[in-house]
Amino acid sequence: MVKLTIRRQDENAIWYDTFDVEERPGMTVLEALFRIQEKQDGSLCFRYSCRGAVCGSCAMLINRKPGLACRTQLSDARTEVVSESEKEDVLLKHSNKDEDKYEILVEPLPNLKVIRDLIVDMDHFFRLVDSIEPWIAAPEDAGGQQTLMEPALQMQIEKYTNCILCATCHGSCPAAERDGEYLGPAALAKAWRFFLDPRNGEEGAEKIVSGVDSEKGVWGCDVVYRCVAVCPKKVPPTSAILKFRDELK
Amino acid sequence: MIDHDIIVIGGGLAGLRAAIEAYKLGADVAVISKVYPVRSHSGAAQGGINASLGSDDSWESHAFDTVKGSDYLADQDTVEVLCKEAPERVIEMENWGCNFSRQKDGTIAQRPFGGAGFPRTCFAGDRTGHNLLHTLYEQVLRAGIKVYHEWLVIKLDVDNGRCTGLIAMNLADSEIEAFRAKATILATGGYGRIYQRSTNAIINRGFGISLAYNAGVPLEDMEFVQFHPTTLWGTNILITEGARGEGGYLYNKDHERFMERYAKEAMELAPRDIVARAIQKEIDEGRGFPEGYVHLDLTHLGKQKINERLPGIRQISIDFAGIDPVKEPIPVQPGQHYSMGGVTSDKDGRTPMQGLYAVGECACISVHGANRLGGNSLLDTVVFGRRAGINAAEDVRSRLWPDEDGLLEACRQEEIRISGMIGGEGENFASIRDELQLIMQEHVGVFRNKKGLEHALDRIRKLKKRASGLRVQSKATVFNFELMNALELQGMLELGHVIVLGALAREESRGAHYRTDHLERDDENWLKHTLAYKGDEPLLEYKEVNIGRFTPQRREY
Ligand SMILES: Cc1cc2nc3c(=O)[nH]c(=O)nc-3n(C[C@H](O)[C@H](O)[C@H](O)COP(=O)(O)OP(=O)(O)OC[C@H]3O[C@@H](n4cnc5c(N)ncnc54)[C@H](O)[C@@H]3O)c2cc1C
Ligand code: SF4
Ligand code: FES
Repeated sequence: MVKLTIRRQDENAIWYDTFDVEERPGMTVLEALFRIQEKQDGSLCFRYSCRGAVCGSCAMLINRKPGLACRTQLSDARTEVVSESEKEDVLLKHSNKDEDKYEILVEPLPNLKVIRDLIVDMDHFFRLVDSIEPWIAAPEDAGGQQTLMEPALQMQIEKYTNCILCATCHGSCPAAERDGEYLGPAALAKAWRFFLDPRNGEEGAEKIVSGVDSEKGVWGCDVVYRCVAVCPKKVPPTSAILKFRDELK
Repeated sequence: MIDHDIIVIGGGLAGLRAAIEAYKLGADVAVISKVYPVRSHSGAAQGGINASLGSDDSWESHAFDTVKGSDYLADQDTVEVLCKEAPERVIEMENWGCNFSRQKDGTIAQRPFGGAGFPRTCFAGDRTGHNLLHTLYEQVLRAGIKVYHEWLVIKLDVDNGRCTGLIAMNLADSEIEAFRAKATILATGGYGRIYQRSTNAIINRGFGISLAYNAGVPLEDMEFVQFHPTTLWGTNILITEGARGEGGYLYNKDHERFMERYAKEAMELAPRDIVARAIQKEIDEGRGFPEGYVHLDLTHLGKQKINERLPGIRQISIDFAGIDPVKEPIPVQPGQHYSMGGVTSDKDGRTPMQGLYAVGECACISVHGANRLGGNSLLDTVVFGRRAGINAAEDVRSRLWPDEDGLLEACRQEEIRISGMIGGEGENFASIRDELQLIMQEHVGVFRNKKGLEHALDRIRKLKKRASGLRVQSKATVFNFELMNALELQGMLELGHVIVLGALAREESRGAHYRTDHLERDDENWLKHTLAYKGDEPLLEYKEVNIGRFTPQRREY
């Protein structure tokens, strides 16, 4: 058995519920949430789609760490040592001493408004990303020719195109916590992807650089690399931010 | 009531591509989707998208491979469209920013895929769908196309034989709303999750297909269900065919490369139906590993190639099976993968119902016939998505707005129906769904026969009865997923019923439909498409296959 303690919210009411789930080998946190929703409490809500860590739907806080529920195994999460949080609103039994840990704490992703239970306001996150105008402004008729691109450049861009817009990074970012209008790691990483891309032309690249040159942009970052540490797709937003700063100097 | 000239249902590749084209032609178009578009199942596609870009390749050769792969059930006029337009569509995606892998000279790289006579699958690592989907979504943003995300479409409205729009529920507050449209484009994807083992996203429940069916549009060739040979044992996450394309080997528990017995020439790169049956047979006859899998071995490819060409596969194996393919073989088993059948539609995405189009995996334009080749369905979404966009945009120019009354009445009825499902005594959706998935897995899978199909039919009829008393306990109005699941389950049961009935009737083996009691393909009696119309029991009719330049031959690899 695994015990999941889940932060619930309905409008202004906030509480924690605990559910026991029978663990099967290889079971993920997402599967455990389904078992609860299907067998114990149909009102529990959380987002999901692919169950394979590629769509970006299921980001949440697991043992106070932002991550994808579908990619987190119960066996890893329940044996994890959780540092006691500053906020003593919930008691976790975990400590270094526990031999046989079986509790997992599940909460919504921070830095975005909670809509209900584990569902947060992603519109806000998408608005920030969209504000950098993330697209190639290809001409109506490019003449049916492919753009030639060095494999090395393609692979450099790939580091950033791998982003699945899950907002895990946003939920770990101190600048985003302070300032709701800070563009955030995902938007800035994406901006760098479009800056690198030759298909955007020089004009496009300049527009992107000027769009991130502010306290809401690359200058707002604390450079603590938390986004890089939590990203499930190994996207390095902080590198993008530092490279932009170099460009701007 | 919300009005748009054109409403596209579905924010996957097919839907977004249709919306972009309609927008370019000046139509007021909106997309409605039950998840944010970038969460659509299309993003999970790994291996690639086919186009005859190579100088020694040709659209004719692509078309031949497709028709042969389809076991001659594909309509050859639509296959011609698919293969002719492929290079243009792929280059367009490149121009819009898709991050395709490259060759040394900077051109788009291509890899070999099963059943193809040429390495014509263009790819972006093993994250092709993700790259394509984000690229199209970016173009939708650029155009400023309105997207209603996290809305579940629950009914298509029909007036006088014409689709007038739809009824949808906003998942954020459970409000039910009527959308009026001069044209509606259905792009809701496949139904993988009616099977227990599927590579599909959990949201792929085929509900969109059932909406068209319930509105009176026939479903075509639903008995043709593709099983992918290599899905990760345990979770059934896909291990792309690209893994075999890059040179992976299949071994049974005695370390035999058993494909030798089934497809001497093509070996691991035989088409999916053949490889899936081979693996299943090895397992059934005791030459698989005891838990029901075989090994897909990539270790000889080396770390560098795996990291370059199959990085996602490596990560999936580590995350979901605790296995690093650089060092160990991957445990794989067949799983449901793709819906060859769907809402019947033509090469412009038109269904028999005026004002309704269907494209992508929810549709049966019949380019995949009895067995789809890898890399052809991503292509299908962008080729036919665009064509439907063009045709819908032309169609709506001369159309008047449909009458409001019918839509408003339909909306009221849906409100009554749905509130009637909430509270009270009755069964929960999950047990019925689990049973359906098991029945489909056991009796309507890689191998089928009369006895099993009859048994499945009987049980699905009973499940349908049980489902009529379905109850939703949660009264939440904000994201009530129990309610969404209950609504979608009813559609899943309809589709299961159609698939089983079609499979029972088709007394032959063709492509992915393999009857152990009718081992041969029977062109004389069965070279025809199945059409299923809604009735108490689905009503089956048949229509001719469009045969063009390629006359049916025995299919050997
Ligand atoms: C794991 C995997 C890998 C694959 N790899 C490849 C590959 O390499 N090459 C290839 O060619 N093909 C591949 N395929 C197949 C291909 O990915 C799909 O066929 C294709 O992406 C389907 O796209 P679509 O736009 O039709 O549907 P989807 O991408 O499934 O989109 C459906 C959309 O409809 C919406 N929707 C559904 N129902 C409703 C409703 N009732 N109301 C509102 N919205 C609704 C959903 O929200 C979603 O936005 C793969 C498939 C799988 C399962
Ligand atoms: S950068 Fe990483 S963590 Fe941030 S949204 Fe993208 S994939 Fe998620
Ligand atoms: S469900 Fe898609 S990332 Fe977790």
